[in-house]
Amino acid sequence: MKGKARLLLAAIIIPLGLIIAAVPENTTKQYKLTPEQMLEEVNGGTQFIHPDEVANMLIQKDPTLQLIDVRSADEYEKFSLPNSINIPLVDILNPQWSDYINQDLKLNVFYSNGTNDANQAWMITRQLGYQNNYVLQGGVNYWAETIMNPEAPAEGSPNEEIIKYNLRKGAGMALGGEAVNAAPATVSKSAKPPITKRKKKKAVQGGC
Amino acid sequence: MGPLIVNEIISENANMLFAFLIGIGFGYILEANGFSSSRRLAGMFYGYDTTVLKVFFTAAVVGALGLLFLSLFGQIDLNFIYINPTYLYSAIGGGVIMGAGFILGGYCPGTSFCAASIGKIDAMAFIGGIFIGILVFTEGFPLWEEFYNAKFLGAPVLNEVIGTSRGVLTLGIILVALAMFWVGEWAEKKFARDDYTINQK
Repeated sequence: MKGKARLLLAAIIIPLGLIIAAVPENTTKQYKLTPEQMLEEVNGGTQFIHPDEVANMLIQKDPTLQLIDVRSADEYEKFSLPNSINIPLVDILNPQWSDYINQDLKLNVFYSNGTNDANQAWMITRQLGYQNNYVLQGGVNYWAETIMNPEAPAEGSPNEEIIKYNLRKGAGMALGGEAVNAAPATVSKSAKPPITKRKKKKAVQGGC
Repeated sequence: MGPLIVNEIISENANMLFAFLIGIGFGYILEANGFSSSRRLAGMFYGYDTTVLKVFFTAAVVGALGLLFLSLFGQIDLNFIYINPTYLYSAIGGGVIMGAGFILGGYCPGTSFCAASIGKIDAMAFIGGIFIGILVFTEGFPLWEEFYNAKFLGAPVLNEVIGTSRGVLTLGIILVALAMFWVGEWAEKKFARDDYTINQK
């Protein structure tokens, strides 16, 4: 009776053991997202951070912000956002950068001229399962439009428009832009950008 | 897809719920195998009942095969499995203390709760001993802190230490386990006791 149970057990686990000993180990790194989840994220645009928010963080000297320029080194030399580092898109998988893009302390914001290259960088890091990587909405072009040379709202615009304009103009001046024209006098007192901190994603850790 | 919690497939709260259900299953299996009997547990050391060896090694082999097959079919990423770090001296010291307590008390910590839950008074006394031990350990921690943290080896895994694949090691453990089961049942006959029947009701 007992011998039988042992034989039965052996008959099951020895073949399974032989199979598992014979097959190669599965070392493929699992993708963190299915294509459907990726599509949902891309459509939702959750990776985007608006220039206003980045400008605020720069002015507040938020130490968690890390701007990453994914354009070529030439373009980076010509113009770059304050305190940014240059990781050209072609170089993004180079192990020397992995400490920058695979970490859970800082908030990385990729930027390129438009959003294409920065988005590609974001998708690669997202699929690698890295956290805290985002994309500057509209890229450098939109940055120049909104922060460096904000367009004055038309007379009689809603108050929010005027406030937003003043914030951007203040930010642009603080960050070396050209917006030096006087603001409409009515709301100039509130020219300091408000502090809005983006909630950091909680790191997920394995363990028991 | 796995591990479920690392990949955010289930929440941490759901994880606790699953842990609770698995805990109930674990307790049931212990009780169903008669692990609430201190004679059965102590029999392991005297050779007249080797059920403990058989149950735990069967569980280990099934668990190892399950993880490796899930990994083979891409259902779990073994890199995310938590491996308890090894502090060599405290592991050895703890093993000796645990073994001595096991022989003296007739239970290991898990089975003592199993036995206490069916009303065994010696198991309740054993649990009292566990709490005294915890108290002494934590209150006296500065005294053995150095020993406790000595010889930290990281989280080594056996197959990497001996330089083979996980699968080959698992096959080796399966063969060793089956050999031990065979020896165990031989021992059960050899050291059988007149006043003890295996699988008594």
